[in-house]
Amino acid sequence: MKFKAFLTENGVNLLEKRFLPALDRMGKICHLYLTRDHAIFLHNLLNGDGIQSVAQFRREALFDDYRISSQNEDRIAFAVDVSLLHRALRSSVSICTEFGSGPTANRLHIKLVKKLPANSSQPMPFLTFETKGFKSAVIQDVPISKPLSRAHLLELQTALDAAQDLPPTLVQVPDLNQLQSFVDRMKHIGELLNVSITKYGELHMQISTTFITLGAEFRQLLVIGEQADAPVEDRNLSAQARSSRAILRGDAQSVQVSVKHFAKSLCYHLAKPDCAFYGIAPQGACLTVIFQFFIPGSRQMDKSISLHCRLPVLDPGSS
Amino acid sequence: MESSATDSDAPDLVCQLDNVQGMVDALTAARWKRQQDAVIEISEHGMVVIVEETSCLQAKVYLQRELFIRYEYGAQGRPRLGVSLGLFVDCLNTFSAPGHSNTIEIQYPGPDMQLLLKSVDSLDASIYAEIRTRIPDTISWDYNFEPAGSTPLTFTVKTAALKEAIDDLEWPGASIQITVQPNPPSVTFRGDGHGDLQIDFMYYANADLLLAFHCDRQVSYRYKYKFLRATTSNIPGSVIRDNRGSKLTIGRGGLLKVQHLVSVARTSTSHTHIDSTGYQHPSRIAYIEFFVKPEEDEDTADD
Repeated sequence: MKFKAFLTENGVNLLEKRFLPALDRMGKICHLYLTRDHAIFLHNLLNGDGIQSVAQFRREALFDDYRISSQNEDRIAFAVDVSLLHRALRSSVSICTEFGSGPTANRLHIKLVKKLPANSSQPMPFLTFETKGFKSAVIQDVPISKPLSRAHLLELQTALDAAQDLPPTLVQVPDLNQLQSFVDRMKHIGELLNVSITKYGELHMQISTTFITLGAEFRQLLVIGEQADAPVEDRNLSAQARSSRAILRGDAQSVQVSVKHFAKSLCYHLAKPDCAFYGIAPQGACLTVIFQFFIPGSRQMDKSISLHCRLPVLDPGSS
Repeated sequence: MESSATDSDAPDLVCQLDNVQGMVDALTAARWKRQQDAVIEISEHGMVVIVEETSCLQAKVYLQRELFIRYEYGAQGRPRLGVSLGLFVDCLNTFSAPGHSNTIEIQYPGPDMQLLLKSVDSLDASIYAEIRTRIPDTISWDYNFEPAGSTPLTFTVKTAALKEAIDDLEWPGASIQITVQPNPPSVTFRGDGHGDLQIDFMYYANADLLLAFHCDRQVSYRYKYKFLRATTSNIPGSVIRDNRGSKLTIGRGGLLKVQHLVSVARTSTSHTHIDSTGYQHPSRIAYIEFFVKPEEDEDTADD
C-alpha cells in the first residue's frame, strides 16, 4: 500500500484556505478516500445519523506526480483529524513561502508512511508532509487511522455510491450569507426546521413550537430539474398556505431537519462555493445541498471539484 | 379579553418599523435573565413593554409611535398582551439581517390573538412570525414614582461609567448603598459583602462623567446588587458608542429610577455628532426606565 504525491499551489490554496476550514466545521474526524483519479473527504458515511458530506477532488485539482497503489484496486481510505491536517498543512505552507525559492524548491510532498512513534513499540500509520526549506527540511506527521480493510472500504464505496442520487428538483439559494445569518438567529427559537421546496422555485423554511411559528420564504429561485409554473390563484396567499397547496398538488416536497444540521451545512460557505442548491431526495429521504464551483474567471462549472451534503430527515413522530 | 377584535375587522394595531435592530437593542436592555414574561401595552401613543421581578424591580421600554414609519391604532382602551420577552427579542432578531434594510410590520391581534410579524421590504424573500400571546398577569405593584421632596434628587452619569461602576461592585456583591450628598456634591456607590468597595463620583472633579447633579440634602439607600446590575447588564453597545448618559433619580421611600436612551434611528441616517448629554432628535429614541426598590430593613440617613 503506497501513496505519495506533490500538492500543487492551487491544491494548497484550495485545501488550506477554503476546504479544510469548512470541513473542520462539519466534523473533527473524516475519512480521506484516495483512488487512482480522486481524493475524497467523507463525513459520516459509515455511521448513519449525522450530516453526510462528500467533498471530491479530481487528482489534478490538488496534486501532481500522484502515485497510488494498493491490493484493493489502488484504493486507500483512512480516518484523519481534519484540524490536525489543517494545522500541518498551514505550517508547511508557511515554511514553503518563507524559505522556498524557484519552481521546484518549495514543493510540498505528501505521503503515507508507517513509523515507530516515541514511547511505542507498535509502528503507526501517518500522513506525512515534507517541506524542503533553504537549508532544512521540515517533516510533519499527521496521525491517521489504520487504513480501512477491504470490507470496510467496500462499505464506504457503497455508501458513497448511494449518496450520489440527485433530488428531482433543485432550487438555487441566492445569498448564502444572508441565509446563514438568518438560520443562526433562528437557532434560538427552536430545534426542528420544516423545509419545503416547490417546483415553482420556492424555498420555504419554518420553525414551529407551542409559542411561536417563524418562517422564511424565498421565491423566484432558479430551478434545476423538474419545474412548473406557479398557479396564478395562489399568488396572494400566505407562504404557509402556498406551500401546503403545492404539496397537495404534488408540486412540492417537505421534510423536517434539525436546525443545527441546517446551520452546519451552511458553514460550507467557508469553502467559497459560487452557488448552492437545495433539493429533497425522492420519498423525502434526505435534504441535499449541492455546492458548485466555477472555473476561476468564468461562469463555467469546475467539474474537478464537487461538494455536497445530505441532511438526515427527522421523524416527527420519534421526538 | 376585549371584544373589539370580534366585531370589527380592523386589528388593534398595525405598525411598521424600519430599524428592527434598534428595537432589539432597546428590548435587550430589559433582559436580565432567560425566562421573563413581558406585558406589552398598546396605546395611541405607542407601545410600552413592561417586565418585572418579584415586586422589587421593574423595567419599562417605551417605543413611541414616532419610532414607527406607520402606526395605525384601532383599539378601544389600551389592549395588553403577555409574551415571553426572550422569545419576542429572538424572533425580532431574525428579522434584522446585517447589510439589509429591514422593514417589518407588526400586527395585533391575529386570528388566534397572536402577535404577527412579517418583513415587508422584499417580494422574493420574506420572513414571517406568529407569537402566541397570553392574558397578562396584573402588574403586581404600582411603581408610582413620586419625588422625595420639593426638589428632585437626581444625577446624570455617563452610561458607560455607570455600567463599569456597577460591574466593579460585583466583587463585594450583596447589597449596594447609594449615597447622594450636596456637600461636596457627589454620588457614592458602596458595597459591603465579602469585602468593601466604594466608588465616588465627584461632581466637580468628574464633570465629564457626572453630567448633571441636583441634590439639596444627603440621602442614602441600599439596593440589592442583582437588581442594580439588571439596570445596566444588557445595555446595548450603541448606547456606549453614542456616549450617552443615564439619569438616576431617587424618589419617595428610596425608589430608584434609572433612565436610559437607546437610538432607534436608521443606521444610514444616524447622526454623526451627538453632544455629550446624548441628545438626539427625540422621535428616534426609545426610552428605557428601571425602577428598583430599596432594601427595606435599612435605616436611612434621611426621611
